[in-house]
Order: sequence, then C-alpha cells, then structure tokens
Amino acid sequence: MFRSIFLKTLRDYRIAILGWGVGMGLVIVSPMASVATLITTPEARAALAGLAAQFAWNADPVAADTVGGYATFKIGIFVFLVCVWPLLAASRMLRGEEERGSLDVLLSVPRSRARVAIEKIAAMWVALLLVGAIAGVLAYLGGAAFKANFGLDGGLLFGLDLALICMVIGGVALLISQFTHERGPAAGATGALLLVFIVVDMVHRVLPNTEWVSRLSPIYYYNLSKPLIPSFGTSIGGMAVLGALAVILSSAAVWLFVHRDAGDVVGIPGVRVRAAAPSRGLPAGAWSLRSVYARGLGMIAWPSFWWTLGMAAFAAWMIVAVHQLVDKLNPLFANPSSQSAVNILRNIGGGASGLNALLLGAMFELMPVLLMAFAVTQVSRWAADEDEGRLEIILSTPRSRVAVMLGRFAALATATVVVGVVTLATAALAAGLGGVSLDSTNLAEATLGMIPLGLLVAAVGYLASGWLRTAADTGLLSFILAAWFLISFVGPDLKWPDATLRLSAFYYYGTPLLHGLQATNIAVVVVVGAAALGLGALRFARKDISV
Amino acid sequence: MAPIIEVENLTKSYGGKRGVIDVSFEVPEGEVFGFLGPNGAGKTTTIRTLMALIRADKGAARIGGLDCWRQSVEIKRFVGYVPGEPSLDPNLTGGQILEYFSRLRGGVEGAYLKRLIDTFELDTGRKFRQYSTGNKRKVVLIQAFMHRPRLLILDEPTSGLDPLNQQEFDGLVREARDEGRTVFLSSHVLSEVEKTCTRVGIIREGRLVRLGSVHELKDIKRYEISIFFAEPVAAEAFAHLDGVASVDTLSNGSGLRLHMQGPADAVIKAAAQYQVVSLTSYEPSLEDIFLRYYETDGQRGKQTAHV
Repeated sequence: MFRSIFLKTLRDYRIAILGWGVGMGLVIVSPMASVATLITTPEARAALAGLAAQFAWNADPVAADTVGGYATFKIGIFVFLVCVWPLLAASRMLRGEEERGSLDVLLSVPRSRARVAIEKIAAMWVALLLVGAIAGVLAYLGGAAFKANFGLDGGLLFGLDLALICMVIGGVALLISQFTHERGPAAGATGALLLVFIVVDMVHRVLPNTEWVSRLSPIYYYNLSKPLIPSFGTSIGGMAVLGALAVILSSAAVWLFVHRDAGDVVGIPGVRVRAAAPSRGLPAGAWSLRSVYARGLGMIAWPSFWWTLGMAAFAAWMIVAVHQLVDKLNPLFANPSSQSAVNILRNIGGGASGLNALLLGAMFELMPVLLMAFAVTQVSRWAADEDEGRLEIILSTPRSRVAVMLGRFAALATATVVVGVVTLATAALAAGLGGVSLDSTNLAEATLGMIPLGLLVAAVGYLASGWLRTAADTGLLSFILAAWFLISFVGPDLKWPDATLRLSAFYYYGTPLLHGLQATNIAVVVVVGAAALGLGALRFARKDISV
Repeated sequence: MAPIIEVENLTKSYGGKRGVIDVSFEVPEGEVFGFLGPNGAGKTTTIRTLMALIRADKGAARIGGLDCWRQSVEIKRFVGYVPGEPSLDPNLTGGQILEYFSRLRGGVEGAYLKRLIDTFELDTGRKFRQYSTGNKRKVVLIQAFMHRPRLLILDEPTSGLDPLNQQEFDGLVREARDEGRTVFLSSHVLSEVEKTCTRVGIIREGRLVRLGSVHELKDIKRYEISIFFAEPVAAEAFAHLDGVASVDTLSNGSGLRLHMQGPADAVIKAAAQYQVVSLTSYEPSLEDIFLRYYETDGQRGKQTAHV
C-alpha cells in the first residue's frame, strides 16, 4: 500500500471507508425499518403520503408510502451529515499536509505537483465510491429485508449518487483550501456553503416558481435521482452534472495548487495584501491576550460568528417556511378523516398544541444537532492543540492544568450561550415579522435549552481527549452524536423501549417548543455534563501531555 | 551552593518503551549545566518530567526543593522553558505571543523584553506561521528569558539559530550565570556546551553515563599528536611510551599519529631525538569524548561515572 501516493492515501482512508459506508448504510436502512410501523392501514398509508407532501421543505415527497420512497424522503436534509467526511478530508488533503510541513517532503519526490494532487484526489474519489458501494449494498439488503421494490442496481445507484454529491462538496472544500492558510477555515466555509446549498435546494419546494434558484445548488441535482424508488428512477443528467462539477472544481483546485507557492495561498484578484513593515513593538491592550479564557474566546470568535449566523438564519428560515406551510396544513387538521396524518405529525413533532409550534417542533429537531456539531468542531481544536504541542509552553506558565482546561471550556461555553441567545433573538424577530404566533416562553426554552446539550457534547469531548488523539476524539463524538440522533429519530417510530430512548441526549431536550423544557430532564443533562467535565479535568491534570 | 534541581532515580517508560532509567543528578543554583545525549537518549523525557508535562513512573524530581509534579505551578513561577519542538498558535504574531505569555506570567519588565527583541532582531509584527524556523526559535527563546527566571530549562535551544544569534544566545546564558541564575540546557551541539556550561551530564539509552565538569571531562579525554620527521621513524620507538595508547604510521613512515591518553612528556622527549619537521597536537572536542562513550560496549554506562 506504500507503492504510490494514491495507494498510501487510500490506505489512510480505510477506516473512514468502512465507518462511513456502514454508517450511511444504517442511516438509510433505519427509516426502512420504521416505515412498516407507520403504514399499518390503507388510511395511514394515504395519510403518510399526504403528510410527506406537506413536509416538502425537507425532501421531495415521492412515493413516501413505499419502503424506498419513505427512506429517501426521511433522509432528505441529512445529506449534510453524508458530506461531512469528504468536506473534512478534502480540506486537509493538501492544506493539512502543508500545515504539518509534510507536503514539502512529498513534493521533493520526482512527481509533478499536479500528479501528487491528482493521485490524492483519485484516492478520495475511490474511497467515496467504496463508501457509496457499501451504503448501496446495505440499502439493498435492508430493502430486501423489509420487502422493498428496488433491486441491487437501485441500491448501488443510490450509493453512486451519494458518492457524486460527496465528490462535489469535496471539490468545493479542496478549492476553498487553496485560499486559506489553514484547513479549519476551509472546512468551516465549505460547511457554511453546504448549508446554503441545502437551503437553496429547499427554496423551490417552499416557494412557487423558484426552481431556477434551486438549480444553482448541487443538492438539487443530487435530489433529481431517487434510485430507491423504481417508479422515479435515476437522472443520468443530474448525475452527469454532479460528475462534471466534481471534475471542474477539483481541476480548478489542482490548477491553483500547481501555480501557487507551497505553503502560501492564492491571492484574490483585486485584493492586495500589503506587507507589514518590520516591527519591534508589542500589541497594547489586546483583550484576547489577557488570559487563557480570553485567548480561547479569541480563537473561536470567527467560527462562532459563522455558526451563529448560520443557525440564526436557519431558525429564521424555518419560521418563514412554517408560515408557508400553515395555510396548506390547516385543512388537513380540520378534516376528521386525516386523524392518522395528524397522529404521525404529532409523532414527528412531539404532539400537538398549536400548529405553528407543531411544525416548528419537527423542524427544530435540527437546531440542537447543529449546536452540538459546533461543539464537536471546537473540542477537536482543543485536542489538536495538545497533539500539535501548542499546550507545552502554556503549561510552562504558572497556571494549573485544570485552570487552563477550564479556561478553554469556559470560552466554548460562552460561545455556545451566544449562539443560543442570538438564535432566540433572531427566531423571535422572524416570528414577529412573519406573523407566526409562538409561545415566547417555549421559544426561549427551545433555543436556550440547546445550550446544555452543546456543553454536554463539549464536556464528553474534553473527557475523551484525555485518552484519544484528535481524529479519534472527533470520530467518537461524531459517532455518539449520530447514535443519539438515530435513537431519537428512528426509536419512536420503531416503538423502542423508553430505556433505550433515554440513552439519547435529545430525549432530555424533548419538544420544548411545544411543551417547554422539563427541569428534571435538563438537570440530568447538566449533571452528566458536569460529571464528564469534572472527570475530564481530573484526567487532564494527571495525564502525560503528548508530543 | 544548594541544588536547585534534584533528580533521584528517575524512571519513565512509555508503555513498554524505554524513556529514562534510574537517572540521578543534582544541579547547584547558579550553574550552567549541559545535558548531552543523542536523539532518543532520554534528554527530552527528563526535561518534560522536570516541567511536569509527564509523570515519572518511579523516583523523584525536585526544583527549588519543590516536587516537580505536585507543586508544578509554584515551580513554574520561577522557571523559563524552551521545548524541543516549539509549537505556538500560528495565527498570532510574535508580538501577540510575547504579550500573551507575559500576561500568563503575571507581567514582565517591558524594557528587558524590548531589549531581548532588539537583541534577536525579531520582527514582532509577523504571524508565527510566517516565521522561518530560526525566527520561531527566537520567539520561544524570548518568552523563556523575558521574566528573568531563576531557572532556565532549555531543550536544544539553539536548534535552527544562525551563528550570530547563537552568539547572542550564549551572551544571554552568560548574563544569566553572572546574575546567579541557573541554566539547564540539553544539546547535542557539544561546542555550544563547551562554550557555556560548567558541568555536563551525558545520557545514553535512558541512563546517565557521565557526570562532571567540562574541564574534568577533558582530563580523561584521548587526544592525538601528529609528528612529521625529516626521515622515516619506526612506530615501535613510540608505541610503548607512557601516555601512548596506539600509533599509526603516516606518509611512508616519515609521519606518526599517536593516540594519547595521559601526559605527553615521554613522547616529546623521544621525538627530540629525531629531526622533527612538524608536531601537531589535536585536542578533541567534547563531541569526540561524547562519541567515545557511545562506542563502548555499555559496561561503563551501567553506572554513572563521576570524574
């Protein structure tokens, strides 16, 4: 496996190929398992199809009363999760090696720069095709188990469609990383763009006559194919567009990489970076240099800003989308024969009190996931600081290890609170401007209630970093997050026992937009988080600092 | 002078891999102590134990009478540290890094910090990631010296510095010594230790194999004398003289290279009986002494030799 850059890179991806392939396979199989419990009667089947149509903001409701159709509909927006790995892998593919200084050595071997980059990209593409193949085979096996009407070809085409959208997002990350000094901002910007792409794709499903807008998003072309629905089939054109986009974006990235200085960035035309005059001075009164806490805040200021902006905008967008849906759903609620649909909606949204809150309850499931994902990215930064030796000199100052760790955690906690508060303010403003009636106490509890969940993930991550290196720590947290989501996403449909549902942190978040926060549940989250943080601090105080 | 560093039977392993084994030494206050050894010998492990970055499996390490692990915060109030592989926030400028660390240390004397920046001619306006290796090292050195610590623990401090800046560094070490402060530095550049240190410890494969003053180490050294004669001279005429370990013949017998271990008196008197064209004595550097210790079969290394 060390005979070429291609094989070596592919070897580096071996665990990810298996993990993401199986993970994505399970994500698609899980709704298949639950659909049987949702369509027990012809009425329920019809109601599910009707209800799915009202949830078109999430995904195209095509044949939602079939196993393949429901699975395709249900995973809709979670293309975001699917794209996380290619996004991270592509942003560190060249830039990460430059940061570590290992690219200089690689470029000293008798291979052209273009070949080095192309071999690495080819390895990632092969890895993505393998991930897609594993997911496709699992989808097929799941479909066969639940008597779906699609075959192995459908499963594999589904995997191919996934691989293609991942290649496009990877290409975006690779391209952006040519303009950033570090891999982090490239990954962050790509993540933000991915959210934009998803929202842009949603637009035509919420607002009439806006298909031309959605065509600007690659997600639109991904959604043109629904291979798990034989009656809908696969769009060769859509796949061709995705393939072409992947090639164009990656080629552009390679071209820029070949023509720029190794370790430097591509200059943006028209933006001239002025060389700073040599200085012997020191900064005066810089707030972010006053303490470990302040420095921690300074480090996460920009990522926090973008996450806050993204989440606040997403919350506002959901409220706008609800405004559009309410008119369509009112007749459904008024019709006694649609009781099955209402029940399903209650199951998804957490039960009915007001229609606005009911719909938002379903949509707001995503908000704590996003905040927890933010926490994962920041925990990864803490773990990386130790791995890369950046804590060594800080720990040579007269600060206890516990104080250093808690200072950084406090900075993350502050950022998490800011994200929650700004999201609340934006959601309240959007509801006010859009004329969407919501219980303001419940809205406050729904947005601020995300904060303990974010901090719980951060605390678990800090604890795990006492033993694990950055990649393993991030991987473990992502796995926990996915597992929690799966339990809360699929568990109720499958009538899993309450004890199992309680394993997920989302259980304790509940449906605050509808019912408010349960103080006992939040206390459980806080206690578990505090225990994890306490154990993490104890471990950090006693461990060998790695080099 | 009371020891500021006391290390007793320090042992540290990484899983099954050897770190250091039963290392013991003391460094009196005011001394410049050189800690020598090849890569992987255990220098950094010893230093990171002193800095409480790793915890010893066995033995004790104290600085200023305080336990390095349990009282590390108190210790770090009077210690300056340069790690072997310094890594700092790549997005901060050199100036921001120095400002940050001065605050973490509770403030430093501005004029002295300015002097250090001027001494190393550091451009404080550039980001850490934009610095060359040498400039990164300057930032790390300045942060170690800037609070005038009572003890400096420096792991290969001049790695990457150009000769001019190495001289500036030597000057700072001498200044610290003159002010009665202690410097503990590891190195495998022996000329640097020769210039600045008063005592030296040599570590090999995790064990301290030699401990003594630089001068004392030189007393046990081997050295060479090369003599060129007008006519060929038999090697046997010198081979059995006092102080001669072995003899090589050079230039068809008209030159001899004598490997010495001991006084040269007998050799000089014997050479005087012939017509000498030239005589050169080659005094080995510490590096040669150092290498000789690593050529031994390890018997000597099992117990620390005090000379």
